[in-house]
Amino acid sequence: MTVSATLHDDDGLLAQRIRSGDRIALGEVYDLHASAAMAVALRIVADREGAEDLVHDTFVAIWQKIDRFDPARGSLRSWILTIVRNRAIDRLRGTRPSIEIGQADERSMLTSGPNPTWDDALAHLGADQLRSALDELPAEQRQAIELAYFGGRTYREIATLTGVPLGTANGRLRLALARLRQLLQQSDAAPIGVRAGDDR
Amino acid sequence: MSDEMTCSQVDELAGAFALGALDAEEQAALRAHLISCDQPHLEVRDALGAGMLLAESLDPVTPPPALRDRLMATVERTRQEHRPTVPGSPLAARRSWLDWLSPGAARPLALAAAIALVAVGVWNLSLQSQLGQRDAALRAVANAISGGDVAFRVDGSAGRGYVVDTPGEGAAFVVADLADLPADRLYELWLIDASGAPEAVGTFNATDDVVAVVRVERDLTGYATFAVTVEAERVSAPSSSPVMISDLKALQPT
Repeated sequence: MTVSATLHDDDGLLAQRIRSGDRIALGEVYDLHASAAMAVALRIVADREGAEDLVHDTFVAIWQKIDRFDPARGSLRSWILTIVRNRAIDRLRGTRPSIEIGQADERSMLTSGPNPTWDDALAHLGADQLRSALDELPAEQRQAIELAYFGGRTYREIATLTGVPLGTANGRLRLALARLRQLLQQSDAAPIGVRAGDDR
Repeated sequence: MSDEMTCSQVDELAGAFALGALDAEEQAALRAHLISCDQPHLEVRDALGAGMLLAESLDPVTPPPALRDRLMATVERTRQEHRPTVPGSPLAARRSWLDWLSPGAARPLALAAAIALVAVGVWNLSLQSQLGQRDAALRAVANAISGGDVAFRVDGSAGRGYVVDTPGEGAAFVVADLADLPADRLYELWLIDASGAPEAVGTFNATDDVVAVVRVERDLTGYATFAVTVEAERVSAPSSSPVMISDLKALQPT
């Protein structure tokens, strides 16, 4: 079981403690998620010192804006990693932060609530299994989603970079996510509710 | 693409949206659509959060220990955007008082209240009036690096400060950024000995003052813990878990 599975139930309590001004709680959250945040930041900016600055700034933002976190929308871990990813992409682009922290979780805008597939799968699958799922994607789809997520490229930029029409670049992103979801549903390690054949 | 998107256009761009791969104009249009649309947009719903899979597929990279120290130092001087509040009802407390005092459960709070032993200036001003208390306490903290007496750091969800003690002359609790309380609640101070027996040593109400000063009815010698709870009235045994706490073990006889 991954760290996120162990912690998801505690997210609300940890957030509540941070909200009440408990710096020890922030330290606990840091101890649990900083290495994952560091991995994301380093992968994107490819500079250790810059990555450390991003992780530092992300956790300071968590401290300042914890009241924006809603555990009903997703895990604390995914909120943190989304924030560090967005900040890293902003740094890569040399732009000011483009996404407000309160919007870091796009699921807040859905009327139907979040689909638990990804969080649940992430809670039950290790990095090796996730990499295996990614490896099963066609190379051009994997390249497209990595350019988007880690490279901060828009699908228009991906189309230019890879020399394909806009519709193809967008389609690769769409198909890649659909395929990944299918692969996760087929995984033996996936929890009940996201296996193939389960209704959503 | 026009400013307004149709439902089918939104679904078409679900993957790019979920991976942050739209340009700013498209992203704003798609957001606007989602906010105003009553359709479930299952494709968007299915795609969102997928980026986490990419993030979690990376091997973790341990940051240097100095980064944690740097973060905690920054946080020490960084205010949160919201003002902390304290649960008003003791019945809402998730843990009993005894739970908090048991070594396992109390340890995090004890660590949170890690002793910050500081030397303070002479604590010999009168505690007979509010103004006298305040002046003396503030002076003691302001002179914290030059005197011979001691102060203990008090930390918790309701605020932070110091409990300042001069044996034989009394003690005071100096607290900053005190959290609001419902009108029917007050803060109660406790000194707890090594056996875990609590003794009530004062009450005070929430205040808008940046720094509040409260007289402690005993000096700290012989006690192991100083704590603050929220109560409906002054009681002889705490009915809720502490909202602030300090470890006084340095004052225990060796």
